[in-house]
Amino acid sequence: MSLQVKIEEREPGVYVVAPTGEVNTDTYLELENKVNGILPKAKAVIFELKDMTYISSMGLSVLFRVKQKLAGQQGKFLWVHPQLQVQKVFDVMKVLSDAMVASLEEADEYLDSFLDGVQKGKIDPRTPHEEGT
Amino acid sequence: MRKEPKRMLLERRLPNRLEHVNAFIKEALDQFGKLSLPPSDIFHLKLVLEEALTNAMRHGNRLNPDLFVDVSVELEGERLVMKVKDEGGGFDFSKIPDPTHQDNKEKPNGRGVFLIKQLMSEVEFFDGGSGIRMIKILGRAQGKGT
Repeated sequence: MSLQVKIEEREPGVYVVAPTGEVNTDTYLELENKVNGILPKAKAVIFELKDMTYISSMGLSVLFRVKQKLAGQQGKFLWVHPQLQVQKVFDVMKVLSDAMVASLEEADEYLDSFLDGVQKGKIDPRTPHEEGT
Repeated sequence: MRKEPKRMLLERRLPNRLEHVNAFIKEALDQFGKLSLPPSDIFHLKLVLEEALTNAMRHGNRLNPDLFVDVSVELEGERLVMKVKDEGGGFDFSKIPDPTHQDNKEKPNGRGVFLIKQLMSEVEFFDGGSGIRMIKILGRAQGKGT
């Protein structure tokens, strides 16, 4: 199955990346290349995963690299709405749980607080922030 | 103990190019579809096949396009047995890092093998690590990966 990636700028510097289909050996580069196009100007990237039906370790590595790049530029990585089996992959690997939020509205609230904290120098974005949110 | 009858579902020799991975997986999915498996099992089987095949091509055969990967899917009673064998020199599978350990979480090494071990009922390496045998017990409680 092919992959389609929709990217929307929700507010200046805050992007929602919505993959539809499978992130696998054939498609992970398509996702990575598209996200890399927005990273230089991104303060935050939210992955909307409701239509992503599959992810392999190659796809997980893309998410890790995005997270690391964002952390390196004081940005934030979040993800919402994983399908059940995709969630299980994240659970098994015990990864990125600190970046999951329940909804885009929660992501907005979280990012408002986070970006405000970074701006005022209260938060170092390279360290874990509110584990479990 | 009664020996379960074996039925070979798929047996292929794949050229060592990543574009062959998903083509093979599509064939395998056709076979899995005939076994009346729950969607979660099909997801796991597809995932471990992709992980094993990409590991064999990337790490085992080091992306050498002149080499091959042998793969088979066989049914032994309620055991689905999948074997993937590359033509590389193998590796020390006792030294695969635990990717869930805090020190390794940001490193890509070992995620594929870890996923395979977690999602399959039994996993063993053979021929010095150049082959992996993965077994899923179908149709009954399995503990991990159900």
